[in-house]
Amino acid sequence: MTRVLIVEDDPQTVKEIMAALHDHGFAVDSTDTGREGLLKAAAENYDAIVLDRMLPGGLDGLGMLATLRTAGVETPVLILSALSGVDERVRGLRAGGDDYLTKPFDFLELTARLDVLLRRRSAAPQRETMLRAGSLEMDLLTHTVRRTGKPVELLPREFRLLECLMRHAGQVVTRTMLFEEVWNYHHIEATNVIDVHIGKLRRKLDPDGARPMIETVRGAGYILRAAG
Amino acid sequence: MRLADLHRTTSFRLAVLFLLLFGAAAALLCTFLYMQTRNYLDRRADAVLLEELAPFGGLDAAELHQLLAAHVAMDPHLHRPITLFGPAGEYLAGSQVGAQQFHVLAEPTSEPFTFTLQRDGRTVPFRGVARNYPDGRHLLVAQDMASARAFRSLLLESTFWGGLATIVLGLIGAVAAGAGAVRHIEGITRAVETIVRGDLSGRLPTHGHVRELDRLAHEINYMLGEIERLMLEVKGVCDNVAHDLRTPLTRLLAGLERVRRRAGSKNDYAAAVDEAIQEIRGLLKTFAAMLRIAEVESGARRAGFTALDLKQVTGDVVEFYEPMAEQKGVALTMADGAGAPMLGDPSLLFEALSNLVDNALKFTAPGGRIDVRVLADDGIQGIEISDTGPGIPADQRDAVLRRFYRAEQSRHTPGSGLGLALVAGVAGLHDMAVRIDDANPGCRIALVGPRHSQD
Repeated sequence: MTRVLIVEDDPQTVKEIMAALHDHGFAVDSTDTGREGLLKAAAENYDAIVLDRMLPGGLDGLGMLATLRTAGVETPVLILSALSGVDERVRGLRAGGDDYLTKPFDFLELTARLDVLLRRRSAAPQRETMLRAGSLEMDLLTHTVRRTGKPVELLPREFRLLECLMRHAGQVVTRTMLFEEVWNYHHIEATNVIDVHIGKLRRKLDPDGARPMIETVRGAGYILRAAG
Repeated sequence: MRLADLHRTTSFRLAVLFLLLFGAAAALLCTFLYMQTRNYLDRRADAVLLEELAPFGGLDAAELHQLLAAHVAMDPHLHRPITLFGPAGEYLAGSQVGAQQFHVLAEPTSEPFTFTLQRDGRTVPFRGVARNYPDGRHLLVAQDMASARAFRSLLLESTFWGGLATIVLGLIGAVAAGAGAVRHIEGITRAVETIVRGDLSGRLPTHGHVRELDRLAHEINYMLGEIERLMLEVKGVCDNVAHDLRTPLTRLLAGLERVRRRAGSKNDYAAAVDEAIQEIRGLLKTFAAMLRIAEVESGARRAGFTALDLKQVTGDVVEFYEPMAEQKGVALTMADGAGAPMLGDPSLLFEALSNLVDNALKFTAPGGRIDVRVLADDGIQGIEISDTGPGIPADQRDAVLRRFYRAEQSRHTPGSGLGLALVAGVAGLHDMAVRIDDANPGCRIALVGPRHSQD
């Protein structure tokens, strides 16, 4: 079972994160200071750490993270912060964080991002040239896509959108994650625009009458069903 | 400040200082004039005396006595006495001036000297010069100096009165200047007290007598105007926040109370919870937008600036919105043009441009068009977006950039009223100005800043 450590000082937030992660099927541990978090993270083998930036007692989130990385612990870390600035985000990632989520956040966003971090860790590091999901094939070298052997014509952006979904096949990918990964910008309020892009992609991918491969996850994002 | 504090005002002190300086200069000048005049009068009298004495040089005794007798007849009142004295100073002939002691040192004529005589019971000043004869007699030629002395005292008197008048007038001027300053300062103090008490519409008086104070007051008034405008804006934002948050909170509460009251099936509860989640997401979005505007306006985001091409970002935005425009039946096109390199925050620029394109899409009817153009002319660069929508009335073009402002005709379209405020903030952060004008028909919005060099 996937084990996640939460380092967060607000008990109510801890309770909610624990509940959300538990529902998602993770085993969850928590602590409320950086010092204790550091000890636990170093001593036990967690699969991921959810770390609040603001922590009481001298050692804050980034300090703890930097110490952890210096000690050679490479557990993926997702930073939670009330600070939303781009430079804050950069500081967080530079200190050794793997992802950065600004409070307030949707729990579906949190679990989706944790899934990505966990997958990244377990995935083989070699470069893939071919992505497969069910009847869908994507050749990353020739930039071609086939559904059940038939070629699908995609625009460059649609190709990247599908690539992102295929890399995380079977996992929820939120609209913000898609936006950040495919368009390379942060902050977008107009997430409904992404729905339109997905709609176009769907029409190209799915033959008439077939069950759509890209499913909408209500209030969260999309999931590409490998079984489709 | 009271009038009793007059002597402490700078104007008064300056006036008094000038008065003293001027007085000293005037006194010096008058003294100089007086001395010069006195010397001149004396020298002239001496010259006349020496001239008069000259003819007596080569005369014998008979001629001398005859001449003296004639002179006495011509000058009975002793205005210009000429008298011959014996070796011991006794009177021999000429004007009756009584015995006189002379200390005639120089030969043959003495230096001119001053002496007094009693005449009609008064002491009268005389100026005289004496000539010595070899037999010990000497001849005195003198002149009554009373009129010259009178002129001198007249000069002294007029100098005195003139000086007094100067001092009095100067003091009056100093008091007037000081009092003007005191009144001005009192006016300013009263105005400041009013403002401190909370009336921000108060302004400092600017029609005082002190130019420098007026200029300062003008500057302060300008500052007060800015502060008032900002205060009103903040107040407006607070009012709007209260209003914009109360509406969704009321809906949230109403929805939750309704489902509690009706206590239907589990599905009813689930639907109510979903509704509540939607409302709360909306609220959080509003908060996030407000925080981001504040963050952008504080300028803190400049730390994250990187080199970027405005054309690239604009192209990305247009590409992002293309499917949406297609779906709505609006032609979204971007004109080809030169690149526009600059330093900036790509995410913020993307968001600001998204807001503009999003707005344009919202207000452009199917069949309309939206043209996006990157401006990269001499000296300026920016982005221009024109649509064929209803446009923004001229009198609302400043207002739409304010937080929570929603034009009358857009009140029923979705939106927070923060989009254009963020655009204005992002533009300001990048040294660009927001220009709104008419595209006839439609709206043309441009973000325009100085052209950045290609280095």
